[in-house]
Order: sequence, then structure tokens, then C-alpha cells
Amino acid sequence: MRQTSLRLIALLAAGLAAGCALPPPESDPEARAEYFERNDPLEPLNRVTHTFNEALDVMFLRPAAEMYRLFIPQPVRAGIGNVVDNLLLPRTAAYQLLQGKPEKAGEAVARFAVNSTVGILGIFDFASDIGLEPQFEDAGQTLGVWAGTTNGGPYLVLPVLGPSNLRDAVGRGVDFFADPWNHVGQGDTVEALRVSRFVLQTLDTREELIEPIDALRRDSLDYYAAIRSVYRQQREREIRDETRPRRRRFDWSGEPPQ
Amino acid sequence: MQRRLLLAAALAALPWTSLRADARADRASAFIEASGKALVAVIDSDAPLPEKRAKVADILRDAVDVRGVGQFVLGRYWRTASQDERAEFLRLYEETLVRNLSARFGELRGVTFAVTRAQPRGEDGVIVSTTVDRPGQPTVALDWLVSEAAGRPQIVDLVAEGTSLRITQRSEYSSVIQRGGGRLDALLDALRRQLAQLEAREHAAN
Repeated sequence: MRQTSLRLIALLAAGLAAGCALPPPESDPEARAEYFERNDPLEPLNRVTHTFNEALDVMFLRPAAEMYRLFIPQPVRAGIGNVVDNLLLPRTAAYQLLQGKPEKAGEAVARFAVNSTVGILGIFDFASDIGLEPQFEDAGQTLGVWAGTTNGGPYLVLPVLGPSNLRDAVGRGVDFFADPWNHVGQGDTVEALRVSRFVLQTLDTREELIEPIDALRRDSLDYYAAIRSVYRQQREREIRDETRPRRRRFDWSGEPPQ
Repeated sequence: MQRRLLLAAALAALPWTSLRADARADRASAFIEASGKALVAVIDSDAPLPEKRAKVADILRDAVDVRGVGQFVLGRYWRTASQDERAEFLRLYEETLVRNLSARFGELRGVTFAVTRAQPRGEDGVIVSTTVDRPGQPTVALDWLVSEAAGRPQIVDLVAEGTSLRITQRSEYSSVIQRGGGRLDALLDALRRQLAQLEAREHAAN
């Protein structure tokens, strides 16, 4: 029994080592610099996970996002997007406090208050009209601010969840427990609402990314490397709060999506 | 006494440096405005495709610091490349820039843009922000990094919603070379394949 588990551990370690790219020797400083800039020691393993995620996306997620775009009218989608964004605000405010940005946290709370009431449960974004613009924080960004660096450690591709790094993978776990909506209420209805929220949030995000991801897939010479670079740059921008606030527009023209 | 003098000198120089930065920013945004207008004019024209493509190539050759960008995206492999390899890489790289636009002539028709602001970014140059609108498409924010390293304003990077094209490409290209066994040829082949694809798309779309 003990021997089998030892054997299993040895096997796992060997597998991990095989999936590991070791840094180039000291004698080649440029190659070393490149290795650390890439910051992807698990690349061989990550590429396998990436291929698996791609298959999932092409077969299930992207088609689902297309159906969402096709069958749900644009104004309804905009409203749904606003609602799921609005639900992220309490968490955002907490993280802003933890990051030492109390004014921003105040704005997030005010935005949540306005849109949840006047904006009918967050469907309409009236807060933007009075200068309370959308903002978004998560645990990964907070850890980045605390660490004083945008370097999130080795790049990771998580199964199903996609691009991440050590910092953001930890952050994801924290986010799940830190979200107040995961702690209020009980019963089947609440559970159903929770699942719907998760599904709608996923569809909403993927639907917005249909064109950008198609373009990246088509135009990149190495899609994996492109995604890795884009992910790092976008997270860096989020940590530095340089993301352009974006407002969803309601299109009542009733024209079919292009 | 000497300290006072130094302080006065520093204070006197202060408005001058910011003035100079302003002039640089003005030049950069005027340059982006002019190059963009020239591009839009070609895109909207009814000239035959090869003629339009040649005109776009002329504009890009003039507006983009192809050698500088090429050197940046090739990173450490630029130094070890032979003269012939460098020349071939720059030729292919420039061609992909042109074909990336010419393959999209159809969807770009009717495009409009506006320069929203220009702000100096240290030694790198000036970031000129633009918003680009295509009929029936959401507005896209594109930032252009304009450098005067060559004595006149030239584009050295394109930043789309926070993603730098040259940084992304450098990471991609080094990956392609590395996975091709450290040979630059692997990248050149990949660029040739990409060009063939763009060409096919151009024919299909026009």
C-alpha cells in the first residue's frame, strides 16, 4: 500500500518534471532574460491544457455564446450584462478598501445603490450618467497592489477556466469565498439564481469576446503565446486601474446581429 | 548664492521643457491625423485593389518605423541574424503590415477616426489616442506610440485597448523561433504562410 503510493508520487513528480522547462544556463544571459520575461516554466503542460480548453471553447462555449447573441435581443443582453456587473460591485468595494482606495470604494457603493434601485436591480446604468463609472476589482488585482508588482508569478493555464498565473489562481479561490452573494440566502431558488448568474456571466463575457478572440486566433503565429502576452498586459492594466470605463449601450433598432 | 542661481535656472527651464514636450505632442497628433486621413482616403477610394494596396504600402512605409519595430519584435534574435536574414525578415514584416490592412479593405470602408489626445511618454515618444468608428460596429480605442528617433515622427507601436501590438508580437515571434529549434527560418516560414493566408483572404473578400 505504502509502496504503491510512493510509486504514484514518484510517477507524478517525474510527470511534472517532464512538463517543466528549466532555465537556460548562466552562460547564455539573453536566453535567460527571455526565459524569465516569458515566465512560463510549466509551458509544456500549459500548452496541453490550452489545447484542451480550446477544444471545449470551440465545441461548447463559443457556440453557446453565438446562440446567446442570436436568440436574446440586444437590449435584453445589455440589461443582463449590467445586472451581472452590478452584482460584482460589493466585492469590488471591499477590495478597494483593502487596496487603500476608500474614495473609489465609496463610488462603487454609491454606484451599486443607484443602479440597484433607480436602475431596477442593475438593469439600467444610470450611475454612469452622474459620473459614477463602472469599475471592477478582484482578489488577484488586490494581491498585485499589495505585492507592489504587476508580475503575478509563473503563467498557468487552468483547466476550463483558462489563462491565469500563480497570483490570479489564488485570487480566484479568494474571490469565490469573498463574494457576499455566495453567503446570503439558502434553498433551491437561491441556488438556481446563483447558477443562473454564473451561466449568464460566462455567456455575457464570451459573447463580447467572439470577434476579438476570432481575430487573435486567425492572425497570430502562435496563438498560445499571443494569449499569454495579452493576458499579462490586460491584468497589468487592470491592476494599475488604467482600464477605460465602458458603458453598455442599448440598441432598440431591432436589427439582427452582424 | 550659487544654489539660488541654480534654482532660478531650473525654474526658468521648467516651462521651456514642458513647452517643448507640448510641441512634440502637437507634432505627433498632427502626424497621426495626416497619416490617418491619407489611409482613409485610399480605403474609401474606388481604385483597383493592387493600386490601393500599393498606395497603402507607401503610406505605411513612410509612417511606420518598420526597421525599428522589426528590430524590437525580433528581440535578441536580431543581433544574431545575418544581413540577408534581417532584410528578408523586414521585407516579410512590412508585407504583413500592408496585407493586414488590404485584406480588410471591404470591412474598413466608411471608417472614421478622431484624435482624442496626445501625451508624452518619456523617452519612448508620444502616445496619440484615437477613437476609430466603423459603420455598425462598436467604437474602438487605438493608441499610437509616435517616436521622433529618426528625426521625424514615426509610429513605433499600436496599442489596442491596452494591448501593445509590438509586445504581443515579440512574445509570439520568440515562441515560434524557440519551438522551431532556435532557427530564425522557422519564423520566416511562419510569416510566409501567414502572408499566403492574408492574400487568399484578400482575394476572397474583394
